[in-house]
Amino acid sequence: MSVTMAGVNVDVTTQARPLPAKEFREVVFDVKDLGVSYSGNQALQDVSLEIYRNFVTAFIGPSGCGKSTFIRCFNHMNDLIPSAKVEGTILYHGEDMYGPEVDAVEVRKRIGMVFQKPNPFPKSIYDNVAFGPRVLGMTDGLDERVERALQQSALWDEAKDRLKSSALSLSGGQQQRLCIARCLAVEPEVILMDEPASALDPIATTRIEDLMHELKKDYTIVVVTHNMQQAARVADMTAFFSVNRGEEGQRTGILVEYDATSKIFTQPSDKRTEDYVTGRFG
Amino acid sequence: MGVSLRDEYPDQMRLSFQEELDRLEANLQEESELILRSLRGAINALEQQDAELADEVIAFDDEVDARYLEITKGIEQLLARQTPVAVDLRLVLAVLHINLGLERMADLCVTISKLTKLSADLKPDDTLVEAFEEMGARAEEMIRVAMKSFSERELEGAESLVDLDELIDRANRRVVKHVFELGNDPAVREWGLRMIIVSRCLERIGDHAVDIGEQTAYLVTGEFREFTDASHPEGVAGE
Repeated sequence: MSVTMAGVNVDVTTQARPLPAKEFREVVFDVKDLGVSYSGNQALQDVSLEIYRNFVTAFIGPSGCGKSTFIRCFNHMNDLIPSAKVEGTILYHGEDMYGPEVDAVEVRKRIGMVFQKPNPFPKSIYDNVAFGPRVLGMTDGLDERVERALQQSALWDEAKDRLKSSALSLSGGQQQRLCIARCLAVEPEVILMDEPASALDPIATTRIEDLMHELKKDYTIVVVTHNMQQAARVADMTAFFSVNRGEEGQRTGILVEYDATSKIFTQPSDKRTEDYVTGRFG
Repeated sequence: MGVSLRDEYPDQMRLSFQEELDRLEANLQEESELILRSLRGAINALEQQDAELADEVIAFDDEVDARYLEITKGIEQLLARQTPVAVDLRLVLAVLHINLGLERMADLCVTISKLTKLSADLKPDDTLVEAFEEMGARAEEMIRVAMKSFSERELEGAESLVDLDELIDRANRRVVKHVFELGNDPAVREWGLRMIIVSRCLERIGDHAVDIGEQTAYLVTGEFREFTDASHPEGVAGE
């Protein structure tokens, strides 16, 4: 906002740049009435929300609220669990992700994932990053591709002189950035992160958070985190999940509130969100 | 809708944090009691032209300052160590603002008392003394309403401060008008000129009370909103 004082336009904006208005956001995922059950036990139900392009979207909530189950729906990871059943729809750029002709491998190429514990292959740093491109036949200019991915994941300076060393010789924080580089090497559009920093020390955590901030210029990031302050720091949008307990004690995850992060942490609309973010209950 | 987290997890957590917040708020309420004493003292000293009492009011400001500092430090600790969010964040920010407002009210009482001392040998005007008694009582009432509606999170009480402020503003305008008409006795005129500043101080105390009301509204609704807009008076309530 600017005001005119003594004929001069003065910028009086003091807050962080607000999020673009809804009509200017590009919807990457449109989730409608999503539910997931394992062997008939409803783990998550009635989730509807939109994930926007070049946003960091965080999922927070107490253990068992279904947030990890939910993030795994975005790249068909739940397909790997035989008893899992996904209901409702997820539209990815308008296409039904769970439609009959969808190829899970193609989906995972477009939508990469980083897990809680760094899980590099017991191979060299170079081979870890080159693994995805090789499997997918993207071998033209492989060296440049590996370098670019390591640059983007802020690991290049530390790794460039030891590309042939084992990935396991890296520190935990470096290994996690390597896993991010491995994910970036196949040029995905979306990066899913399930507790990406929970196994890291505070400094390594800060580096991952800085990286998320940097990467959202080119990618869409969805992150599950137990650390509420991390969500407050990195996310543009935050979804709060909680648990409903049924008559026989069965627990089902539900989406309670989904809004701009600044709103969730200053003026949440739902009492349950407030109880959770203020750390009083849950 | 779902079961509330309070049902799911009946044991409230972060008790020490809650205690710190409670203590902070109790401290703020006590600070407002000090302001009321200071204001009462300043008005009495003025009415009775009592320089000794005025000195006491001036010295008493140290107690207010100490309380102000204690609250400020409490807020600093809470922000540094507890990372309050949502309603807790709004409470801490509101206490920060109100603390400053109260401390300024005490400073205004000091200014009144200094003027009382300077005017001790001058001739008071009965009409003005009565006007100050009225303004002082209104200011006290406003501080009480402001602190009570804050403590009870009561929006209506907070918003009623605008109407109360209008009364004190009118009294201020009457004082100024009366001073213009004081006549030619130099001792009365000098007293009157000094009393314009006293009147202005009391009027400012009313404004600070309205600011407290605005903080209550922020705490309750989450919206920053000025009750009245001095630079665009056409839309102002009560006009």
